[in-house]
Amino acid sequence: MEPALTKSRCFHCGSPLTAATSLAVRVDGTEHPVCCAGCEAAARLILSQGLERFYEFRELPGEPVAGGLHNWAAFDREAALRRYTHECAGGERELSLQIEGLHCAACAWLIETSLRREAGVRAIQVNASTARAELRFDSQVTTLSHLLARIHALGFVPLPLSFAGGGAEGTAERRAALKRLGVAGLGMMQVTTYAVSLYAGFMQGIAPDLEQFLRFVSLVVATPVVLYSAQPFFISAWRSLLARRPGMDVPVALSVGAAYLWSVVSTLRGRGAVYFDSVVMFTFFLLLGRYVEMSLRHRAGLQHDALARLLPDSTLRLTGVEAERVTPDELRAGDRVRVLPGERVPADGRIECGSTDVDESLLTGESAPRVRRTADELTAGTLNLTGVIEMTVTRTGQDSTLAAVSRLLERARGSRPAVADLADRVAAYFVTGVLLLAAGVALYWLHADPARAFGTVLAVLVVTCPCALSLATPAALAAATTRLARAGVLVTRGRALERLSAADRILFDKTGTLTLGTPRLEAVVLLEPRLTAQQCLAVAAALESHSAHPLARAFKDLTASAGVSEVQSFAGRGLEGVIAGTRYRIGRIEFVREGCARTAREVTDDPGRTSVVLGDTAGPLAEFHLTDTLRSDARETIQRLAALGLVAGIASGDRTEPVAAAARQLSNVAASANLTADGKLALVRALRAEGHQVVMVGDGVNDAPVLAAADVSVAIAAGTELAKVSADLILLGERLSPLAGAVETSRRLLRIIRQNLAWAVLYNLTAVPLAASGFIEPWMAALGMSGSSLLVVLNAMRLLDRGAGRPPTEPAPLTEVAHA
Amino acid sequence: MNVIYLLIPLGLGLLALSVWAYFWAVRSGQFDDLDSPAVQILLDDDRAPPPAAPDPRDA
Repeated sequence: MEPALTKSRCFHCGSPLTAATSLAVRVDGTEHPVCCAGCEAAARLILSQGLERFYEFRELPGEPVAGGLHNWAAFDREAALRRYTHECAGGERELSLQIEGLHCAACAWLIETSLRREAGVRAIQVNASTARAELRFDSQVTTLSHLLARIHALGFVPLPLSFAGGGAEGTAERRAALKRLGVAGLGMMQVTTYAVSLYAGFMQGIAPDLEQFLRFVSLVVATPVVLYSAQPFFISAWRSLLARRPGMDVPVALSVGAAYLWSVVSTLRGRGAVYFDSVVMFTFFLLLGRYVEMSLRHRAGLQHDALARLLPDSTLRLTGVEAERVTPDELRAGDRVRVLPGERVPADGRIECGSTDVDESLLTGESAPRVRRTADELTAGTLNLTGVIEMTVTRTGQDSTLAAVSRLLERARGSRPAVADLADRVAAYFVTGVLLLAAGVALYWLHADPARAFGTVLAVLVVTCPCALSLATPAALAAATTRLARAGVLVTRGRALERLSAADRILFDKTGTLTLGTPRLEAVVLLEPRLTAQQCLAVAAALESHSAHPLARAFKDLTASAGVSEVQSFAGRGLEGVIAGTRYRIGRIEFVREGCARTAREVTDDPGRTSVVLGDTAGPLAEFHLTDTLRSDARETIQRLAALGLVAGIASGDRTEPVAAAARQLSNVAASANLTADGKLALVRALRAEGHQVVMVGDGVNDAPVLAAADVSVAIAAGTELAKVSADLILLGERLSPLAGAVETSRRLLRIIRQNLAWAVLYNLTAVPLAASGFIEPWMAALGMSGSSLLVVLNAMRLLDRGAGRPPTEPAPLTEVAHA
Repeated sequence: MNVIYLLIPLGLGLLALSVWAYFWAVRSGQFDDLDSPAVQILLDDDRAPPPAAPDPRDA
């Protein structure tokens, strides 16, 4: 049965399908191809439960279902249950899960609906914005491992959060911010209504007692807004003063406080101007900007311990003769652990017996696995590919290599010179200026008319209210981040966009960033015409289906010939197996030659290419050329970036030849290969020392310190958690081109911020002397303040318009920035 | 115009009531996920799950 190849993408995960695959799922009578057995299983499970609507409503295609070995059994042990769950009455247990691969409401619905049908599940609530799930189940009816396995079978990776450090803080922070925002918003609506009446009263006349009544009511409503909603500004201003680094919060707190106090005094005295409407509106818009910023930070899921995700869910600890599954955090130095092929190494350690290939790409960036034998050191988080090994744990937790990487990261982040952001620089001058002015006015009036000194100083502080000034940046940032999120770029630190607009160098990691990170079959070269290419591929696919080696993934889409027996894996060399009576070997050429009777013809040895040779006992049969293909839009993105003035470069930990090959394909960008994390760091520092503004794009653990040191860091969503934590921007999906759109948006953002700041400064410069010399009526000042704040907010909203994702009006011939 | 002395305090009462209702809604988690519920109404349907949905691992 040939599947209808109407779409050349996997039905489940959306990966492009390279070879004709025989795997397919049937939906409403139509065959849809899928890319691998993992995706097939997930799709079948979803369809068998009648949940096919998931595919209709989801916003992004899923991630390929990882073939990695997950063993959830360790979570059923008493120690793990105590650590991760909370016991309720009647044998029910509650826990929080972080769910990887959860992108949209449809994913959340899928997990909820599917798990509710499991016996023993009492309640499940999945939050799509935070990728968290709250699960309550009856431990007498079902097991935690069964439920985790079910979520995993749907194509997601559940990570139980330890109960003590669970996700409560994020929720609490979000709820507190929402309450403050709500109070400010409701207060703003009321106070603005009263203010309109008061303004009308100024112009048409108003009964004095009614005016006084409206002012008093405004005071009543504005008080909770100032004392409750605006509280964070006062606290943070006070802290920044204690730390002697006055930021934007100082003038904000100063003017909110001064304007409020002034208005209270005026209200109680029954004369003078009131500014309640400005105070409340100002507070609301500022809180709104901060709330958007916080939501984005939470959405990026940066609260979770990033290192823990690199460790396996469980590992086999050997005690005497017995082996038991434990979670990695239960391991102590000196423990003996068995690591099976396909499992991650749970802690740093030394191999006691066995040899294997280890994929260390997470740490080194090198795509080719290393051979590790007895007495070799292993690093936590690396992937055991081929052999069963036993190791002794030497370091865990804070002493481990992973912890060291994370400390390197902290240092790199700390050493990033504090690039004063535009608004902060302006704020610093502004604060100093206002305070000097106020002091000058105070001095003058203390000599001229001491009785009026206090009132005049307050008036100066109120009129210099930097509403527009302090709204200028956050409002524009909120609009820009929203726009970018629609285009597939998550901004985790809004201020980085300012630096992105000024960047002139961009460095890419190769494996997993410029490339897809998975090898693909490029060509088959027949060495002897005993078998056809098709037959060779079938044999290779059958053998490689028994391997967890990254290169084996290149063969997973192919139809394998049946009946492999006696499969044996040789670390660092290849695989051997018997098919239909013939003994085949696949792997390195030397390994294949050793297994045959006579020497065969030479194999072309191009160091720039990764190749695998297949042979039988009579000699090598075929050579398969594998490449890690570049992302489809890598070249186009680099050209667009070049048009925007960003010179691209490659900084890779991989070997020289593949890096050079990638650089050639990308119209000869500068490339550095064989770089360690320190080497990349040095490269970025050197570029920065030359005065360049550097953007770094990466995905691996080894990229994390570099990401932290660059002016702007970008991580790929499919990359490691550590890289994402260090990143200012996260690219969602499989495409690089939103990056160019992000640069354009950031430049437009900077233009808008400059316009806003110019307007705010101009307004304050004209208003202060006019108000000081008595030319401005109080109501005009209040209206002007609110008006200029509104103008700034509306100007910022221009970043959102012209349709989602459409590039701004740059003259360059640009293609649509739409997400897949 | 005297009615305004009655209406505005009434408005304040309503304001207090809405703040209370809003706090209750936030506390009970109604604002925790603003994306899913909008789509869930479309996804959930009344069709019963197919009866024959054997779980391979239970078999």
